[in-house]
Parts: sequence; C-alpha cells; structure tokens
Amino acid sequence: MTMTCDDVRDQAAGFVLGVLSLDEAAAVRAHLASCDQPHAEFAELGGVVPYLADSLDPVEPPVGLRARLLAAAAADLADTATVRASVPATVRASVPAQASLPVPTSPIPFPSAAEREQRATARPSGRGTWMLRIAAVLAIAVLGGWNFQLQSRLSGVEGDLAAAQAYRAAVTAVLDAAAQPGAQSGFLAAAGPASRATGVVAATGGSVILAVENLAPTTGAQVYEAWVIVGDAAPVAIGGFEVGAGGTGVFRGSTAFAAPGAIVALTLEPAPGATAPTSPVVTLGTVMGAAG
Amino acid sequence: MTDEARPALRATSPEDDADRQILVDVGEGRLDALEGLYDRYRTMAYAIALRITADPTLAEDVVQDAFLGVWRHASRYVEGRGSVKTWLLSIVHHRAIDAVRRRKPVTELPDTELPAPSQLIEGDIWPEVAGRLDAVEVRAALDSLSTVQREAIELAYWGGLSQSEIATQTGVPLGTVKSRMRLGLQVLHGALVRHAGEAVHRPSLIDRPGASA
Repeated sequence: MTMTCDDVRDQAAGFVLGVLSLDEAAAVRAHLASCDQPHAEFAELGGVVPYLADSLDPVEPPVGLRARLLAAAAADLADTATVRASVPATVRASVPAQASLPVPTSPIPFPSAAEREQRATARPSGRGTWMLRIAAVLAIAVLGGWNFQLQSRLSGVEGDLAAAQAYRAAVTAVLDAAAQPGAQSGFLAAAGPASRATGVVAATGGSVILAVENLAPTTGAQVYEAWVIVGDAAPVAIGGFEVGAGGTGVFRGSTAFAAPGAIVALTLEPAPGATAPTSPVVTLGTVMGAAG
Repeated sequence: MTDEARPALRATSPEDDADRQILVDVGEGRLDALEGLYDRYRTMAYAIALRITADPTLAEDVVQDAFLGVWRHASRYVEGRGSVKTWLLSIVHHRAIDAVRRRKPVTELPDTELPAPSQLIEGDIWPEVAGRLDAVEVRAALDSLSTVQREAIELAYWGGLSQSEIATQTGVPLGTVKSRMRLGLQVLHGALVRHAGEAVHRPSLIDRPGASA
C-alpha cells in the first residue's frame, strides 16, 4: 500500500488513536520514513492521546496481581541467570547441578488469571500438564535464583555457600511437596524496597512447607510469621520460624489451603504468636492449585 | 546511563526523572525497581485495562503482560519520545486493545524498533503541559469537544473499533468519522494547552529553570 501526503494526513487521527489496521499503520510509517514534509499533524494530534488516559479515575487492581507479576518476573530473571554462564570457576566447581538441568530457551509462561479461572472451573484433564509446568517453573526459577545469588556473592565465602546449599535443600523439599497429587504451590517474591527475600511454597494434604532466602537474621524473640490471606479476609497466622546468619528460612506447618489463589506472606514479628501482622510484608506469593 | 551520555533534553518533571532512573534499574533486572514501577502506575494501568476490556480478569492479565513486557524490554524505551509513564501506559493500552480484539499481540511493544520517523512523536510533546494537568482538568478539556467528536474519539481509543466499525456504529460515513476524530483531537489539544497555561500560574507549580526552553 502506497500513500500520498494527503492520504497520510487523512489517516493521522486514526493512526495516533490506534484504530488503523496493521497494513494501514505500516503504510503510514513507510510514508513518514521517506517523506521530507514535516507532517506536523502527527505531533499536534498524537500529543493529545496520552492525556485521554489521564481522564480516568485510578482503579486498584486485585491484591494478588503484584505477587503474580513479581513471580513471573523472577522466573524470567532466573531464566536469564541460568543461561548467563558467568559464575567464577571456583564457585562453579561447587555447583554440581548446574549443567545437568535443562536450560530454558524461551520465557516460561506463567499462569494467567484467565488460566487460573479456567482451571478453577474445569475438569481434571489438564492437571498433569499443569503440575509439570509448575514443577518446571519452580525448578528453573530455583536453580536460576540460586545461581544468581551465587553470582552476586562473588566472594565465594564459605558461609554464603552453606546458606545457598541450605536453601537448595529446603527448595528440594518444597519441590517434592509440590509434586504430590493435589498440591498447591507458588513463588514468594520480595516485597518492599528493603527486602530481597524470595522463596517457594508448597501445600499438600493439610501441610505447608516454604523455603525462603535472603531473610535478615532474627534476634531475641523475633520470628518470621507466615500468613495466609484468602480473598479479602484478614491474614491468618500459620506459624513462625527463626532465621540464622545464613538468611535461609524453612517452615513446615499444618494448614489446609481451601481455595486456589490464596496469598502466602511473611512478616518479621517481635515475638511468636502474633494474631495480626505488625510489620511490613517482606515476601509474598500466590499459591495455586494443580487440581481442577 | 550517565548524564554526560544523554543528549540535551527538553525540561522534564522530577517525576519523569525518577521514572527514568527506575526504568534503568528495571533494565538491570532489579525486582524491587519493577515493584516500584508497578506501585507508581498500577492503578492507572489497571484503570485503562479495565476501561478497555470491561473484564477484571482480562484486565489483570493485560496489566501483568504489560509490566512483564517492560521488565523484558526496558531498553526499548526511547527517552526523546515521551515520558516513561506515557510509554508504559501506551503499552497497557496496546495490550488491552489487542486483548479485546481477540488477537495475539502482533508486536512485543510499541514498535520503537521500527524506523522511527521524526514526525512520529507520540505524547508529552509540550513541556509546558507535561505533569501539570490532573484528571479534573483533562476531563474539563474533554468537555470542550462536541458530543459526536468525543464519541468518535472514545470509540476509537477505548473501544478498539476500526474506523469503519465506528462509522457503522454511529451511522455516519467514514469520512465523517475521520474528520470528527481529527477535529476532536485538535480541539482537545487547544483546550489542554489552555488549561496548562492556567496551571503554569498556580503558585504550587512554579516553573523550574529551563522548563519553558
């Protein structure tokens, strides 16, 4: 499609409002790229368009979206970190599992809200696929996250390696739980600018296990308290745990996850037994079921 | 990105500068920066997605998809072509329109990788306007449009309809639709500049040095 200057002027409003077909839009671009006329109408009309969005009142998205976005981004990051082979040789030598796991070649799809909804209402036929997918995502994110942490601790300090190994062992336990029939699982992404805590969580048969790294060590009576939030209900405490100098936290508890989409969050509490969070969330994620 | 490496730019608001720094951090793979960007724009992004899709679940997917696009391709932001906010929200808009047209996204992001003709400056073109208009003022500017101009623009921008579809839906010839959209945008341009001119004189928004350059 070839356009004249007049054709392009005629389509300018449609172009800046995004209503042209792909072919038409491409033809406009092609003309502008080779035309020596200023075509100031595009700046005049197009500059208005972003303000259309400013006429809307802001709307708060569902609370789970943050965790889902961060978890998907973390999975991406892990993917990149796994592919990136810049771990120093001394560290790499003590990372036996690195080479033996499949390296993803494309971003791992994370379940969309639509998929979750579909799963919540659908038959169990897609269950095996879904569970494999969760397990794959977990495995890649965990391995990648672990490598990434190693890369960022280039000093190779013994304690850091021990912490990484402790985390890895805990993650293996979570992965095992996530592979059980009917299990629900999810990522925990760092919350708030001060937190780098990330982890994984799995729930099955009335028990829950989570593994988190990069937590600030607890002191005195402090505990990290795990909370489950379902819908708009108040957070329910499911138990607390202490964290040593390595920054790895592992928690096993008894709780039933009724609904897929529950949020698991950690806060640092001054003492065990809190019934409502008293401090900001350090890490959180959405737990999703495998069963339809 | 250092200041020395940047070409001389027109004046921008402090919010724009902060956003650009956040975007640099996002490009370096920092989750906290992504979270910061999400927190700044989640309500605007969700409002746009919800307005276009009229479906909370789909809108949620659109917003996640858009922020993930930014996460993966922060480097595609082109500084001279508008603010980070405009760029981000235009991605949300594109994705939402794609979603309601029930087609796969045809571009990862607004095509800044394509040849960018100099005429194609999208948004934030007036430093005297940028950052000085709130929703009330923008709505007041929209009220300057005739009903049919406003309808044509809203069906296009929020409805994701093609020009022919708008013509069918409103029962007027295609040429009329085009002229309503064009005239409507021109009227809106004038009204926004007028409102922004008034805003310049408000004490709380004193001009920064160089802002009128």
